[in-house]
Amino acid sequence: MMNRFLTTAVAFAATAGVAAAGSHIELKFPVGEGPFNWDSYNEWAGAAPDLSGQQVTVSGPWLQPEDDYFRDVLDYFIAATGADVTYAGSDSFEQNIVIDAEAGSAPNIAVFPQPGLAADMASRGLLSPLPDGMGDWVAANYGAGDSWVDLGTYADETGTDQLYGFFYNVNVKSLVWYSPENFEDAGYDVPETMEELRDLTETIVAEGEVPWCIGLGSGAATGWPATDWVEDIMLRTQPPEIYDGWTTNEVAFNDPRVIAAIEEFGWFARDDAKVAGGAGAVAATDFRDSPKGLFSSPPQCYMHRQASFVPAFFPEDVEFGVDADFFYFPAYQSKDLGSPVLGGGTLMAITDPSEAASALMEFFQLPVAHEIMMAQTGFLTPHKGVNLDAYLNDTLRKQGEILINATTFRFDGSDLMPGGVGAGTFWTGMVDYTGGKDATAVADQIQASWDALK
Amino acid sequence: MDNIAGSKAGLSWAVHISVALLVFLWLFPTVGLFVSSFRTADQIATSGWWKAMFPSEQNQTIRAASPETQIEQNGMFVIEGNLFENGSGAEISVWGISSRAIDAFTPGETAELRRGGTITVQADGAYRMENAEAFEGTRGQRVFVTAKTPPEFTLGNYDTVLGKDVARNMIIYAIAAAVFFFVLRFLFRGHDSTLAGIIPGAGAVILLILLALVFGLSSGAVEGAQTTDDMAGAFFSTLTVTIPATIIPIVIAAFAAYALAWMDFPGRALLIAAVVALLVVPLQLALIPLLKLHLGVGIGKGYLGIWLAHTGFGLPLAIYLLRNYMVGLPRDIIECAKVDGATDFQIFVRIILPLSFPALASFAIFQFLWTWNDLLVAKVFLIDATGETTVMTNAIVELLGTRGGNWEILATAAFVSIAVPLVVFFAMQKYLVRGLLAGSVK
Repeated sequence: MMNRFLTTAVAFAATAGVAAAGSHIELKFPVGEGPFNWDSYNEWAGAAPDLSGQQVTVSGPWLQPEDDYFRDVLDYFIAATGADVTYAGSDSFEQNIVIDAEAGSAPNIAVFPQPGLAADMASRGLLSPLPDGMGDWVAANYGAGDSWVDLGTYADETGTDQLYGFFYNVNVKSLVWYSPENFEDAGYDVPETMEELRDLTETIVAEGEVPWCIGLGSGAATGWPATDWVEDIMLRTQPPEIYDGWTTNEVAFNDPRVIAAIEEFGWFARDDAKVAGGAGAVAATDFRDSPKGLFSSPPQCYMHRQASFVPAFFPEDVEFGVDADFFYFPAYQSKDLGSPVLGGGTLMAITDPSEAASALMEFFQLPVAHEIMMAQTGFLTPHKGVNLDAYLNDTLRKQGEILINATTFRFDGSDLMPGGVGAGTFWTGMVDYTGGKDATAVADQIQASWDALK
Repeated sequence: MDNIAGSKAGLSWAVHISVALLVFLWLFPTVGLFVSSFRTADQIATSGWWKAMFPSEQNQTIRAASPETQIEQNGMFVIEGNLFENGSGAEISVWGISSRAIDAFTPGETAELRRGGTITVQADGAYRMENAEAFEGTRGQRVFVTAKTPPEFTLGNYDTVLGKDVARNMIIYAIAAAVFFFVLRFLFRGHDSTLAGIIPGAGAVILLILLALVFGLSSGAVEGAQTTDDMAGAFFSTLTVTIPATIIPIVIAAFAAYALAWMDFPGRALLIAAVVALLVVPLQLALIPLLKLHLGVGIGKGYLGIWLAHTGFGLPLAIYLLRNYMVGLPRDIIECAKVDGATDFQIFVRIILPLSFPALASFAIFQFLWTWNDLLVAKVFLIDATGETTVMTNAIVELLGTRGGNWEILATAAFVSIAVPLVVFFAMQKYLVRGLLAGSVK
C-alpha cells in the first residue's frame, strides 16, 4: 500500500513538473504502461532538478520520421524537468556543426553520425567533456562497454584523452537480408557458415538465378556500402587486432591481408553472374534502390548484405518475418574467430555546456530513453538494462540480441580512419575496384593517400 | 522586298528546329518530374515515368486474403476474393504461385498449393482457394501475376508535402473560380467600361479566397508527414527572407551605381575595379567570419542577419549590372538636367531610376530566384539550433528523410516550390531580356 502510494506520488510529481513548465505535454506512451522501465524513470524524475526556463538545443542528422520519434523521447525529459528542449535535424549536419561551432552558435548537444568528426572537433577544443562518471557507467551498462568508451574518448586541444561521446542509436551491419518465401520456393536453407554462404552463392548461380543485389550508389558518398563489405570480411578472415591495426594504419592498406579481403569482396561483386544487373551495375545502382530487387517479380536476387536500417527502403507493403528476414553474415567455420559483429552508430557530445545539457545527457542513461525509441523505429541499443520486449518487432529484437551477445564488436572501420581516407579514397577506390581495377593497385593508391595525410 | 537580309527560308528553318530542340530539352526532364510527382515510390522504382501514361504489362506479387477470412462450404475450407482493388481494370495474362515459375498457369487454371489445397485465378483477378483442411498461417498466399495494368496516379505525394487533400481542394476551387470567371465575363460582355473589365478577374479571385476560407484547404494531417502549418509557415518565412533580401540590395546598388557612373570623385575607377574583383570571390569564404561578426555584434541568427548576408552577397553583381546600364544612358539628358539646376539626387530619382527600370527589374528577378532557392545561406545565417525558423528549401530537404532517396517527395516538392518563382518570372520576364542585353550591347 505504501509502495503504491509512493509510485503515485512520484508520478504526480512528474505531472506537476509539466504543470510548472506551463505547457501541456502529451507523452507518447503513458507513464506506467507498456514494456518500459518506468521505475527507474520515476525515481530519476522525482529527483530531477527543476530546469524551468532553461533551453537545451540538440542538433543532429535525423530527419523525417526519426526526428519526431526522438522528440517523443525528449518529451519525457521536458515533463520531468520543465526545461525547453528542441531538436533540429539537418541533412548537411556535418558541415553545419563545424560552421556553427567555429562561429560560436553551436547547439548545446550535437548528435554525430560517426566518431571521426567528433574526434576532430574535440582536438580543436570545440567539444566539452561529458559529466563525471558517465564513462564508468557506459563501461558497466553497455554490451562490450569498454569498446564504446574507447570509441567516445578523444584527445582534447592539449592532447589529454577525455570522454566526449555517448553512443545512442547503434546499427548492426553484419546482416544479410532475404525473402524467406523465395528461399522456400527455391529450396534453399539459411547458411550458418561462410563456407555454406559461398556454396549457396554458387548453387544459385548454377541454377541460372542471381544470388546478390549490391548497390554502391549514394550521391557524393558513393562507394561506402563496399567499405562495409570489406570490413566485414576483414573481421572474418583476420583477428580483431589486425582489424584495429588496419583502422589506424599500423597495418598498411596495401598489406596482403587487406588486399585478400578486397579480393574476397570481388569474388561476390565482380562476377556478372553473381550480382543483379552484372558487375557493371554495382557502382551505378543506388544503395537505396538495391534491396528492392529482393521483392520484385521474378526476384532479381536472393540476398542483400546491408545494415539494420535498410528496411526503410523496402517496398511499402513488405512485412517483417514473412516477406523479409535477415541472417547473420556468417563467419568462417575453418577460422576460429568467433562471431564478429560490425556496427556503426551515432554519438552525442556536448558542444555548448550548460546545467540542463548535462542533465539531459544523464537522462539518456535511463533505459526509458532507449526503450521509447526502440518501440517506435528501427533503433538498436547496446544498453543492457533495457527491456527487450520494447523492440518494435521480432526482427529488431533479434538484432538487439546480436548486439548484446557479440563476442567481438568492431566499429565501422571507414568511420575510424581519417576523413580523407575513410570518407574519401576508400570510397572512390572501391568504386574503381568494382569497375575492374586491380585490387593491389587500388590498395596502393589508398595507402598513398593516407601517407599524404600524415 | 522579300529577301532583304539574305535567304529567310533557310535561316528560319534552322531557328525553328533549334528552338524546338531547346524547348524539348527543357520540357523532357520537367515533364518527367511532373509525372513522377503523381506516382508512388514503388512505381518510380519499378518503371520509368514515360511508361506511366500508358497501360503496361507488369509483374506483380499480390497476396490473397489471410487464412483468417476462410469460410467452410460443404466440408471444404474456402478463401475467396479479388487480387485487385475494385474497378482497377487489370487483366491477368499468366500467373504462378512460386517465385521460380511466375508464368506457370493461365487464367482459369487450378494450381496445387505446396501446403495443401488448390487455388484458381481468373483473368480479372478473382480467385478461389479450396482445401479439405483449414488453411494455416497469418499471411495470405503469394500470387505472382503478369497483368496489363491501366495507368494509375495519386495525389498522395502532394498530400505529404502540402497537407492532406490540399492539392485536391486547390484544384477544385481553381476550377470553380475559372467557371465563375467565364460566367461573369459572359454576363458583362456588353459593357465596355473599366469596371466590366476588372469584375470577372476580381470576382474569381474573391471566390477562390472565400472557398478556401469557408471550406478550408486541408482536411487533417497525413500520418507521419508534416502538417500543413509547417509548410505554410516555411512558405511565409521564405517570403520574409526573400522580399527584403531583394529590395535592400537593389536600393543600395542603385545609389552606388549612379555614383560610380555619373559622379566624379577621386578613386572611382579603383572602386569599380574592386566591385568587379569581388564578383569572383566565392561567398562560402565569408560564411564563418560573417557569422562570427553577426554573433559578435549581437544580431545572432535571424531574419536581420540573413537580410544583411543576402544583401552583401548580392551587391557586387547588382552594382556592376546597374552601373553598366546607367553608363549607357544618354549623357545629354543628364547634362541638360544639370544645366537646369537639378541636384544629383533629383537627377537620380527623376531621370535615372525611371530609365533604368528594365535593369532594376532584371536584377530583381535574379536576386529573388536566388534567395528563394537558397539553402546554404539560410542554414548558416537563419536556421538556429531551436529549429523555430525555417525556409521552404530546408523544409523540403527534411521531407526527404534521414537517408534521402524519397524521389517522389523530391519531384513533388520541386513543383510546389517553383510555383512562386514561375509567377514572378512570367510577370517580369519581358524586362529580363531587355535588362540582360542592356549592360552588354550598346
